[in-house]
Amino acid sequence: MDRVQSTKLVLWVITGLAAAVGVTRFVFGLGATTNLTDATPWGFWIGFDVMAGVALAGGGFVVTAIFYILRREEFHHLVRPAVLTAFLGYVAVIIGLMFDLGLPWNIWHMIIYWNPHSPLFEVGWCVMLYTTVLLLEFSPVPLEESSHYAMVRSFLMKFRFPLVLLGIMLSTLHQSSLGSLFLIMPFKLNPLWYSNVLPIQFFVSAIALGLMMVSLESLVSHWLYRRKPETHLVAKLSKAAVWVLSTYLGIKLIDMAISGELSTIFAGTWESNLFIFELLLSAIIPIVLFSIPRIRNTPAGQWIGSSMVVFGMILNRIDVGGLTMLGITGDSYFPSWMELSISLGVVSVAALAFLYAIEKFHIWEVRPKHPESDPHAEPIFGHTSEVWLGAPAVAARTKYSLALILSFAIGFALIPQHRTQGEGVVQVTAQKARGGTTLFIDGNRNGYGALFDHAGHADSLKPEVSCATCHHMNLPQDRESGCWECHKSMYSETRAFNHDWHGSPAGGNIACSVCHDVSADREATSAKKCKDCHIDLEPDGSSILVEDYVAGSYADVMHQQCLGCHKKKSTEIADKPDLALCPTCHRTSPPPHMKSDVGMGLAGEYSGSVVLPAPASESVEK
Amino acid sequence: MEALLDFARGPLFRLSFAVMALGLLRILIFDLYGAIEAYRRAGDKTMPWNLVMRRSAQWLLPINRAFKNRPAYSLISILFHIGLLLVPIFLFAHIQLWHKVIGISWLSLPKVVADYLTILTIICAVALLIGRVFNHSSSFLSRKQDYLWPLLLSMPFATGYICANVGVSPSVYQLSMMAHVLSGEIAFILIPFTKIAHCVLMPFSQLISTLAWKFPPGTDEDVATTMNKKGAPV
Repeated sequence: MDRVQSTKLVLWVITGLAAAVGVTRFVFGLGATTNLTDATPWGFWIGFDVMAGVALAGGGFVVTAIFYILRREEFHHLVRPAVLTAFLGYVAVIIGLMFDLGLPWNIWHMIIYWNPHSPLFEVGWCVMLYTTVLLLEFSPVPLEESSHYAMVRSFLMKFRFPLVLLGIMLSTLHQSSLGSLFLIMPFKLNPLWYSNVLPIQFFVSAIALGLMMVSLESLVSHWLYRRKPETHLVAKLSKAAVWVLSTYLGIKLIDMAISGELSTIFAGTWESNLFIFELLLSAIIPIVLFSIPRIRNTPAGQWIGSSMVVFGMILNRIDVGGLTMLGITGDSYFPSWMELSISLGVVSVAALAFLYAIEKFHIWEVRPKHPESDPHAEPIFGHTSEVWLGAPAVAARTKYSLALILSFAIGFALIPQHRTQGEGVVQVTAQKARGGTTLFIDGNRNGYGALFDHAGHADSLKPEVSCATCHHMNLPQDRESGCWECHKSMYSETRAFNHDWHGSPAGGNIACSVCHDVSADREATSAKKCKDCHIDLEPDGSSILVEDYVAGSYADVMHQQCLGCHKKKSTEIADKPDLALCPTCHRTSPPPHMKSDVGMGLAGEYSGSVVLPAPASESVEK
Repeated sequence: MEALLDFARGPLFRLSFAVMALGLLRILIFDLYGAIEAYRRAGDKTMPWNLVMRRSAQWLLPINRAFKNRPAYSLISILFHIGLLLVPIFLFAHIQLWHKVIGISWLSLPKVVADYLTILTIICAVALLIGRVFNHSSSFLSRKQDYLWPLLLSMPFATGYICANVGVSPSVYQLSMMAHVLSGEIAFILIPFTKIAHCVLMPFSQLISTLAWKFPPGTDEDVATTMNKKGAPV
């Protein structure tokens, strides 16, 4: 088989494997396919598919800027492949991101529901717009193929220059705001990578990576189709890359010198070694290599240099995107083979689309010879068998599709059994509040909760309220039921009604007909409501209504219960406008009378461990 | 043995089922794509749509021209197909397995019906095989796979019947269950690459054989050129 065919075969195999994993991901979820955890929610998919993917596709805006803005006519040959690479790259980024986000049908939400404070919102918008721009920039190429679309094509060509400008502008925006995403996590990202100028570093490195990606793509595709490599053009790109990479290196080192991090480069930790490795690969060695004209002007030197930059910069994006957070979060994360196969599969699909476009459209000055082009060709027999698989195009699709389905089947078989049976939501059992006259409400016992002055509330609200205002009284002769008795789960709804217990001799020993009408189907909807028997469930003056058999999550109902009243009171009482704000209950240091009052040693155990920072104004405490 | 059985019922089943489903989809797509391509390139674009539809419907019905020519053979074949389709899909034990893994279940056959249908299917398979061996015109047309398929298809039925009905020792049960699962999986994998692919191709066979005779303009000259007889009448 020749190079193109065997490359395509490998790409189809990877695609099949990824498709099997992709189906599993969308049916059984992230837990079934990834090693992501709550501490490491951004793994390989974000680091490689999105962070590195967007930067790898940066060649589009770099080359269009060189050709259309700087008017360097000699780069004309590179414009179409670069725009195509960029377009396919962005589509790949979007597809890769969909695997991480899930619910792809909700992607339009971002267009309607704006969050202008979020860098992610800006990145999302820019990527959407830029992908559209790239589509419009590239679409004249396939439209050339048929004279039917001449009108559309000439219409699009009129807007070529504005589109190029818009593309460069959008790229500048989101290439840098990918770095802005990490500005909010100075305490999570390793200081060697964290920087106030991360957006600028991201933008400059995207330019360098764009140049090198265009070079590498030219080298690879010319090798594949056995064409003469564009050595002189790649040499020019490499020369430019020296300047851009030097700028990147300069910004990085000067910034580290200013923030006093330079000394940690040689600290000897795995992070510092990784940092040195990354910097050598992505900038220092390529700068040295490309500064020597003899290396820069040979294909071998170009291969080595550009692959180094591409690999090093991908590593940089993965490092910033999550890898170097592991040392700080203390989590252990290594991508599962399923995550890797999805990423590789997305790249493979993009590569196949690239090869298809190269063969089908006018991407190069001279189109590669299509195997189907000669109708008089003698039949070629396969190398492994003497069976004639048909004309070359038919034989190719027979082989590729077979490879695809077989690798899909193997991938589907390889998925671990326990992974396909999802673990579901982990239930966190809610537990009762502790204390005496002052209660510490901490349902999941993690030490982060709220102190509640039960006696104080009862005293100050006396004429208006009774126990029934805040408590259900669901058990016979009940004075107050504990919230945790029915709201059993911290974060998810639970069924409050214990059906089998009510029918058992140990429980109420109640006959079916007591609750279920004999003439109707025995369903929850047609049965009696709780309050029909438990007449105290909603006594007079109760603020709680019970509609069905489902009890909300502990965290939700506690918040509803307190906030409902606090919101009302904050408008009624003139000097307590902050009553409904979070710090009113969640404080770092409770007032002294509550501390001494809480009993059972809780004050000592939990003082200063309430989740939110101190209130902005001290007026709450006075 | 337990572990082997789990492997056969887990990963191997997923592998074989995926090969079958995607393989059938693949050949169906190629068939229809080839037909559309042929029509697109054809010089003569007239199509006897009514005839194609009528013939497709006629051949899909169990009682067709073949039934009049060889009634006994056709009857056995129809019964064989009924058992072959109904039992694996509507067996209660199989539905339970589907329900356990993907949570979907559907109506099942009563056990007695399933048992009789199983026996009937095996008998029909044997009868078809005998018919093929002893009928001259049949055996003249037969390939290896034509003899192997009735045997392979009756394997899961026979072993499944043993597992479901005959009181056997656990080791025999496990062995026949293993044979049941494996023979079923081998059949699954082979379906898209052998004549059993007619389960998806059959409805389109009339359409495709009609379109196959639509040639692009100038085909005669191309054929002549390839045969080194340029200019000669074809």
